[in-house]
Amino acid sequence: MMRRLIGVVISVFALLLTGSVVAQDFPSIPEGETVTIRFYSYNLGNATFGPGTERLIAEFMETHPNIIVEGVAVPSPDMTARVQADIAAGTPPDVAQLVFDGLDFFVNNFQAVPLENIAPPEELNAHFEGFSPNGLRLGQLNDQTYGLAFTFSTPVFFYNADIFRAAGLDPENPPTTWEEVREAALTIVNNTDYEGVHIAGLSSFDWVIQSLIKSNGGDVLSDDRSTIRFGEPEAIEAIGMWQDLVMSGAHSRLTDGDVVEAVFTGQVGMYLQTSALYFGLSNAARDNGWDLRAAPMPQFGEKATVPVNSGSALYIFSNDPARQRAAWEFLRFVTSERGYTIIATELGYLPLRPAIVEQPEYLQEWAEANPYVYINLEQLSRLDAWDSYPGSNWRQIENILLEAVEVAVTSDADVATVMTDAAARAQALMP
Amino acid sequence: MTTISNAPVPASKSARRIPYVSHALLIFLSFLAVFPIYWMIITSLRPASEIYSPSPIPSEITLDHYIRAWTAIPLGRMMLNTVVTAMSQTFFQLLTSILAAYAFAAWSFRGRSVLYALLALTWLVPFQAIMIPNYILLTQMGWRDTLWGLIVPNIGSAFAILLLFQSFKSFPQDLMDAARIDGASNWGILWRVIFPNLRASVASLGVLLFISSWNDYFWPLLVTSRPENSTVQIGLQAFMSSDMNLWGPLMAAATIASLPVLLVYLLLQRQVIDSFVKSGLR
Repeated sequence: MMRRLIGVVISVFALLLTGSVVAQDFPSIPEGETVTIRFYSYNLGNATFGPGTERLIAEFMETHPNIIVEGVAVPSPDMTARVQADIAAGTPPDVAQLVFDGLDFFVNNFQAVPLENIAPPEELNAHFEGFSPNGLRLGQLNDQTYGLAFTFSTPVFFYNADIFRAAGLDPENPPTTWEEVREAALTIVNNTDYEGVHIAGLSSFDWVIQSLIKSNGGDVLSDDRSTIRFGEPEAIEAIGMWQDLVMSGAHSRLTDGDVVEAVFTGQVGMYLQTSALYFGLSNAARDNGWDLRAAPMPQFGEKATVPVNSGSALYIFSNDPARQRAAWEFLRFVTSERGYTIIATELGYLPLRPAIVEQPEYLQEWAEANPYVYINLEQLSRLDAWDSYPGSNWRQIENILLEAVEVAVTSDADVATVMTDAAARAQALMP
Repeated sequence: MTTISNAPVPASKSARRIPYVSHALLIFLSFLAVFPIYWMIITSLRPASEIYSPSPIPSEITLDHYIRAWTAIPLGRMMLNTVVTAMSQTFFQLLTSILAAYAFAAWSFRGRSVLYALLALTWLVPFQAIMIPNYILLTQMGWRDTLWGLIVPNIGSAFAILLLFQSFKSFPQDLMDAARIDGASNWGILWRVIFPNLRASVASLGVLLFISSWNDYFWPLLVTSRPENSTVQIGLQAFMSSDMNLWGPLMAAATIASLPVLLVYLLLQRQVIDSFVKSGLR
């Protein structure tokens, strides 16, 4: 009996001790103290996305009166340089919105703080419940969560139903494979004065290219993150398909920047682009009087697509425990059911808590009025992470791929030669 | 016998054609220069449904884009910040470069050539190389997100010193010597003898410095955090993104942002042309 009692006392003591150690390990905001955090966001300064982001901040501060969020607007192309400058100056932002392709660099060079160091496991697990597992994985590296997926979209196949009708195609049955896209695009080009199709994959980032390569069974980086793979046959075949679209006349010869104007004014039949453009496209379709439709990204033959996301994650860079805790509270709110309701309805990005599209208190009504969101959510189940290249040359590697694909699809160059050469040059830049 | 006629020699056909050809060329070049400005203004006045229309004349005029641009960002405050920053930078850059150029031109001191060469070299150092050290210093001084942070790091300009030095060097040494014999101090020689004679050069340089400061993008982007403390060039970014641009409000904001520079051009047209002729295009 005595032994059992001693055992229970020891167990209780051990539990208390463990509990207290755990409590001490995680940062907290001292009682009665107000904490101010700086949040760098590229959505914030933008006329389209800014008001929604400001609302996220305002609602968070209403519900967390002890935390003040100072939003700092930094344009997306300049975000990395700004964060780097602030880290060098010893004043890193507490939270920053950064795109996924730099994850490795942000972890190893910017010393992003993993959420596992800030929030107790039970709190973290409770927050991750209901979160898309594929979405969650995007910000993870070495089994730790450095970036929490925030604004997020997948490639969606938009098409102009009026052009389909004019060309004699059925807008209720859009193409589902790239072979069908080629046929439909050539029908449009031959029967009308409109452009057939445009894949918007040559702008600043390689996520659409990664989507195409992965959907054809290839990859851009090996699983152990040591070998560049975009010179392999599956990647060459995927880019070869794109080149064939261009060479056959099915694909427009406009640049990604110029094609926006053509699409908005209803001059392009089909358009593979980020779902984040949906609001802009639907406004343009309304203003210019054409019928906008959306479909899942086409696949290669029988292979199911492997969409890669675009968008951003939130990273915590703060060194101060109280501010780390405040930053985590902010991340929790903006990626909560309420947060994603604002993100989906006011910013046009995907809700990474898929269940809320069926909940009347959140997105049910809105999703019924905006059915494109279901395409996005369906693609989410097959999503693969936007690979970030390791080392400090990650940006150069991404540019090598972008330039190689541009050369391949805008000329009759041998795709295999272009892609293997690019892969060899990129491999030389790997750490 | 040879007679020399005083009657004017009729111009050949090709010589008579030259003014027409050159005028046609000038009209064409002027059109190339003015058309983008016209297109910017006309796009800012088009209805949203006609924003991509190729028609040079909109079917109706609307101020909607101006209202949107004005309400989406604190455009008035940003304009004010830009005016204050550009005018202050121009004033201080002119002041420091006049003093430095006088020192190099009028005084002979040990190490002058080395100092001048070093100064010339700093002009060649790209901004990206000094950006981070300047930013760290600025942060330590607590000047981030302030007008001081925008202005003070830019109160000296190696380009301005080098340009003014060339003008000061060409000023007759005898005049300076005469003023000195009359008892004038260096300060007096600079402001009462040299400056009045080189006012045109200083004015043309001032125009260049003002435009350069007005168009500055990266330093304000780095230093400022809140839109109300930033400049109008940063504000324009609000209407742009990697996927699409809001052309209407962007053109409206760009039209408003370019008004002061257009005004400077109109008022100081002669100096601007002189400055380009003398210093080359920047």
